[in-house]
Amino acid sequence: MTETSRLPLSSSIRGKLISAGYTSLSSISSVSSTDLARDVNITEAEAFDILKLVNQISGSNGSSSLINGAKNAWDMLHEEESLPRITTSCSDLDSILGGGISCRDVTEIGGVPGIGKTQIGIQLSVNVQIPRECGGLGGKAIYIDTEGSFMVERALQIAEACVEDMEEYTGYMHKHFKANQVQMKPNDILENIFYFRVCSYTEQIALVNHLDKFISENKDVKVVIVDSITFHFRQDFDDLAQRTRVLSEMALKFMKLAKKFSLAVVLLNQVTTKYTEGSFQLALALGDSWSHSCTNRVILYWNGDERYAYIDKSPSLPSASASYTITSRGLRNSSSSSKRVKMM
Amino acid sequence: MKPQNLGRQSPTSRKLTTGCEIIDGCLRGGFPCNSLTEIVAESGCGKTQLCLQLSLCAQLPISHGGLDGSALYLHSEFPFPFRRLHQLSRSFHQSNPSIYANHNDNPCDHVFVQNVNSVDHLFDIMPRIDAFVGNTKNRFPLKLIVLDSVAALFRSEFDNTPSDLRKRASLFFKISGKLKQLANNFDLAVVITNQVTDLVESSDGLSGLRIGNLRYLYSSGRRVVPALGLAWANCVNSRFFISRSNETICKENDESGRSSVSIRAQRRLEIVFSPHLPGSSCEFKITPEGICELQA
Repeated sequence: MTETSRLPLSSSIRGKLISAGYTSLSSISSVSSTDLARDVNITEAEAFDILKLVNQISGSNGSSSLINGAKNAWDMLHEEESLPRITTSCSDLDSILGGGISCRDVTEIGGVPGIGKTQIGIQLSVNVQIPRECGGLGGKAIYIDTEGSFMVERALQIAEACVEDMEEYTGYMHKHFKANQVQMKPNDILENIFYFRVCSYTEQIALVNHLDKFISENKDVKVVIVDSITFHFRQDFDDLAQRTRVLSEMALKFMKLAKKFSLAVVLLNQVTTKYTEGSFQLALALGDSWSHSCTNRVILYWNGDERYAYIDKSPSLPSASASYTITSRGLRNSSSSSKRVKMM
Repeated sequence: MKPQNLGRQSPTSRKLTTGCEIIDGCLRGGFPCNSLTEIVAESGCGKTQLCLQLSLCAQLPISHGGLDGSALYLHSEFPFPFRRLHQLSRSFHQSNPSIYANHNDNPCDHVFVQNVNSVDHLFDIMPRIDAFVGNTKNRFPLKLIVLDSVAALFRSEFDNTPSDLRKRASLFFKISGKLKQLANNFDLAVVITNQVTDLVESSDGLSGLRIGNLRYLYSSGRRVVPALGLAWANCVNSRFFISRSNETICKENDESGRSSVSIRAQRRLEIVFSPHLPGSSCEFKITPEGICELQA
């Protein structure tokens, strides 16, 4: 990051400055406005403004922003582009998600029972551990199980398939180094999933409050999965306003965790029927106010005999759908979509 | 709060055998502990038969696929088939002579039966199960809870109005939450049976809502859906469906030249959804000795 790129200027001028070699503040302030205008190919008035700005900033001890800690959108874009994404092991799904589940965001995934929510949860908790050499994050996972659907034998099965795939990949990439590579074992993958079984909503709230401390102690946690956020909140809540308050507080905490530790939060949600305009429609559970709580929202549904994922809400991705399938090895591309490609 | 270490746990959760090799194979060992499993079927498919057999199998030693424990059978469909349980236990006793060689135990001694008349009654009973599990006067700790059936508790008491349906859904989650808590605290297997309703095609399209691997569920030639709707489907970890179809077998009678027609019920167990099992199915039959595989 150069000093120039932090200047509050339009991106085109900043780009010109950097490409002309003016990367530090001192390099700019040492030239005259005429020279600067010629070198950077801008008008002299613009160059004068830049010099004024630079002098102002270097005079006031180099703090470039009005409010401490504020960032401009350009920097944030760069940061966002450099953020890793967690692959879902299904390339069609990855491509509509812009490369996978994004870190720093809260992503909600919902669908009917048996559509594969838990399978996606287990897959992500395994995939987050793919080492950096193989294009992964090399992180750890927190799995919060409220429903009791996490099966160790299934996680092991997916982990085994993942290790096999990685071996194939590294063997293909560096044939000569294969011998001295330290391989991950499926059991190591299980050890790196921090599994919490939560049996009531009070436990769930307490655990979410505790997560900040837990992740501070285990910095390499890169994904938090909650399967499902809903279960305990669909019983014993007569006061729906109170439920909304508790849930939105929880959502804020997740949002904070995601930003603070730049990790991905994945909340799995159930579906329910909603009565609108005289007919029943399917909708994700927990109501309308909850739907504002997550940055991204993915809905899973059946289309004929195929499972589909649809991006319902995202600030940066276009709404799109992709088919996926669940195999013994985990989440994969739907076989019919690859057939279709071959036929074309 | 400390996370559980998954690496140190045994890679496969404990399973309760059904006593039928084919079904066990299909379910990778049987009904899982620390999980809620639902069996959906119309009447006469063998839900209760399977549950009775599971209650007996729970007392088998772990080496035989059992849980070394006793069973609690909560029944809301009357009357409870004591006669059938007795019949099954006799053949169970005979087929496992090694286990009962030393003592003159009756397998029925380790199946506890409790009737449930209403939802409120169930909520009265469930908190007492904690104490019941803790009370280890029995030779076997409690390892299996059967609720046969959940549908019978709900099908009479509630209207089809939005407020009643919401109240009902909240009760589903409460029952499921409590049972899952018991399952988790004591590593129990929980098996719940559910009835079906015929599917009537309607304009809103929701009655055809697909849940799980199977696009349509057929039993006795009719399209059916599990009772209690979408809300209840969210409450269980696994859902199995038993379908029944009658197969007519014609036998040529050589002596008189006439053919006799006999009807054989084909029963098939299908996995609708389950976190650890792929969609598959298997056939079984019900004999006086219990549920067993078809002979090839």
